[in-house]
Order: sequence, then C-alpha cells, then structure tokens
Amino acid sequence: MVVVMQEGATDNQIEQVVKRLVEMGMDVHKSTGVTRTVLGAVGQGRPDAALIEMMDGVHEVVRISSPYKLASRTFKSEPTVVTVGDVRIGGDEVIVMAGPCSAESEQQVMAAAVAVRRAGAKVLRGGAFKPRSSPYSFQGLGEEGLRILQDASRAENMALVSEVMDISQIDLIERYCDIFQVGARNMQNFTLLRELGHRRKPVLLKRGISATIEEWLLSAEYILSGGNTDVILCERGIRTFETATRNTFDVSAIAMVKKLSHLPVIADPSHGAGRRDMVAPLARAAVAAGADGLIVEVHCDPDHALSDGAQSMFPSQFDRLMAELRIIAPAIGRSICLEASPRRGWGT
Amino acid sequence: MTLDDLRDDIDRVDEVLVRLLNERARCVCEIGRLKKETGMEVYQPDREKQVLQHVRAIASEGPLGPDAVARLFERIIDEARRLERRVVHGQIDESGQVPPAQKE
Repeated sequence: MVVVMQEGATDNQIEQVVKRLVEMGMDVHKSTGVTRTVLGAVGQGRPDAALIEMMDGVHEVVRISSPYKLASRTFKSEPTVVTVGDVRIGGDEVIVMAGPCSAESEQQVMAAAVAVRRAGAKVLRGGAFKPRSSPYSFQGLGEEGLRILQDASRAENMALVSEVMDISQIDLIERYCDIFQVGARNMQNFTLLRELGHRRKPVLLKRGISATIEEWLLSAEYILSGGNTDVILCERGIRTFETATRNTFDVSAIAMVKKLSHLPVIADPSHGAGRRDMVAPLARAAVAAGADGLIVEVHCDPDHALSDGAQSMFPSQFDRLMAELRIIAPAIGRSICLEASPRRGWGT
Repeated sequence: MTLDDLRDDIDRVDEVLVRLLNERARCVCEIGRLKKETGMEVYQPDREKQVLQHVRAIASEGPLGPDAVARLFERIIDEARRLERRVVHGQIDESGQVPPAQKE
C-alpha cells in the first residue's frame, strides 16, 4: 500500500499515519520529497485502506495487492480444474452446459436434455427454484423440478447444475445436483456463500449484475475460505447505460479474470442480452476470449416457456452454435465435445 | 587515479559502511529488547526527528548535503523500525537471530 500525503502535510499528521501503519503490522518506508511525503507500507499486516484514507493530511491511498488471496493467481499459478464425474471444467476442453431455464414438466426437461446432449452438452442446467424479478412470475417446481432434472440428467449421462437461492435449500439441492449454481442476485449473499464453502460439491458463481471483478472474486473467496476449492466463475452480463440490450455482456471480464485468478471461468450468453438472436454471437465471442465453458438456455418450445422464453435457443440453433464452436475452439488451442450422435444433414 | 582504482575505493568504503550499519543495527536490536521489556512503542517520531537533525547537522560539508543525507537516513530508520518490530514480536532475538523454536 502506498500512502501519498497532502502537499504541506504537517509532521504530526505524517507521524500519526506512520504510527497507525506500524500498529497494523506494516513496515513503513518513508520518502520525504520537497512538497510531498510518500509512505510505502509493506508486510504481512492487512491495513484498512479506507481507514488510512480518512486520516488528516492523507491525499491518496493506493492499494498494490488484491484484497482476495485464495482466488488469486499469485496464490496458485496453475489453473484449477473442477472435476464432476468425467467432466473436467477448466482443462483443455470447452465444457458446454445447456438446458431449459426452469423445469416445467418431465416431458419438457427430457426433450431438452436429449437435444442438448446430442449436440454435445455435458452438463444439464435447469432451475427448480427461480429467482424471478417479479413475485407474480413462475417461481419453479421446487423438489419435483429437481427430481425431474435429476432423472433427465441420469438418463442422458450428464452432470446436473441447478440454482440454490437460499441457505435452506442447500441440503435438498445437494441431494439432486452435481453443481450448485449461485445466481447473479445472490452473488453477495454472504451467508449462503459461507455455507457453500463448507460443502464439497462445486459451486458455479455468477457475477452480480453490478459487481466489479474484484467484488466477484471476493465472493469466490468466501467459498474458498470455507475449504471448498471447486469454484467456477460465470460471466453473465452487467448493467450499463445501454438500453438496446438487457445487460452488457462483459467479454473483457473473461480475459481479465483468467489473468487475476486460477479459477475456471465460463460464460452465460443467454442472460447477457436477453434475446435469443444474440446468444450465438456472444457465445462465440466468449469461447474465443478463452472461456472454459458456456451455460446456455435451450428450450424445445421457447415460445411457450414459463420463464426466459425470449432468450432460450431452439435446439436447431444450439446445434448450429455447437458446430461453430467446433471451429473456434481448436483455433485457440482448445478442444470441445464432438456430437454425441451425429445426424444426417449440414455440418458433417 | 584510474576508473578501476576509484571503483576499488568504493568497494573499500562500502565494506566499512556495511560493517558500521550492522554495528548500528545491533544497537537497534538491543533497543528493541528494551522496548519489549518496558512495553514502549516501536515508533518514536520524536527520536526519529532527533536522529535526522543530528545527521543533518554534521552533513553540511560533504557533496551530499543535509537533504540527501536525511533521505538516506530515512531508509536506515525504516530498516531499524523493521528490526525493532521483529524483536518486539519475538520473530528474532536481540542478536538478530531467529529463535530456535521458530525455525522449520
């Protein structure tokens, strides 16, 4: 941490800051310039930058180390690979997770699972508890939905990811799912994150709708610090001044997080724009930018979906996307699953 | 004098400097022990000011001048504070050694 004192800060003001930093366990390097004094603070202490900034005579505090530790590349230089059965997230292969926004019926989930599995998806997604913006929107089928999702994922030999909204749902979801999903709205639900840190199933942590990358990694830190090392980050778009799309999908965050952290990063192109026709371009961009995977909403009859129909892809669109990704992934040295059961027609 | 001669001189001066700095550091460690025993704060701004005034006063004749000497001594004081803190926290003893219990 570097503390820049104001021009003409008094000796007493400088002494107070040095005293405080020493109390916080830091070694202080004091450089007295002609008009300004600069204090360099190094060491194992954890000085509170905001407290120092409030002190008399301080012009600016510049933090040089990140506030998260376990999530950072400095802590662990080699990439983390999260393993679920034979699916490895964060390795060479780009892993695609797909399925309906929410489980509506056995038939609907099964149809979607068959379609996405055939196209090359390895993880089934689907919600049983839906965090909807309106309390009057469809809230999900609950445990029945989880059972339907689990049956479909087992039948299709896929792993299952589903959203946990509240600490009270953890036990139930753990029984049915392979990966916990923490949604954007819950990214800073710290009691939920802490509890998931004590579980031993992977956590897919979506970026909050207005969260900075640092806040996102601090949320990951909550899970990691509980001892659960299997955290998958997921970029899903952030709120900006743009109104043409629902959210602005932040491709740069994928590349940035890969630099800052060892954790795998996947992308959710469905929620970014909120429009079906934007999903494929964003998915292609995410993979090209180095994402370790995708999570995509696919529905066999999106026009009648009970939630997120407008952003759910038709299976045919998903097939086409997967075919495109099979060209993009090798171009950047990644592999991606081949079609599980090739069909006659285009792309072969 | 040739460049090599001058560089030899610098090496000799550095040897004396390092020896003297370590002699100073031994005093610092002893002070750290005393501060630990008496519960006195490591950071003593008034004393730091005295040290700087003292060295400025005797620095007037050389090419460095009082300001440059004071800047150099700020670094020396930084390191002294670090040593004292480590003695006070028991990370090293007053002779500057890591206590046997702390070695891996």
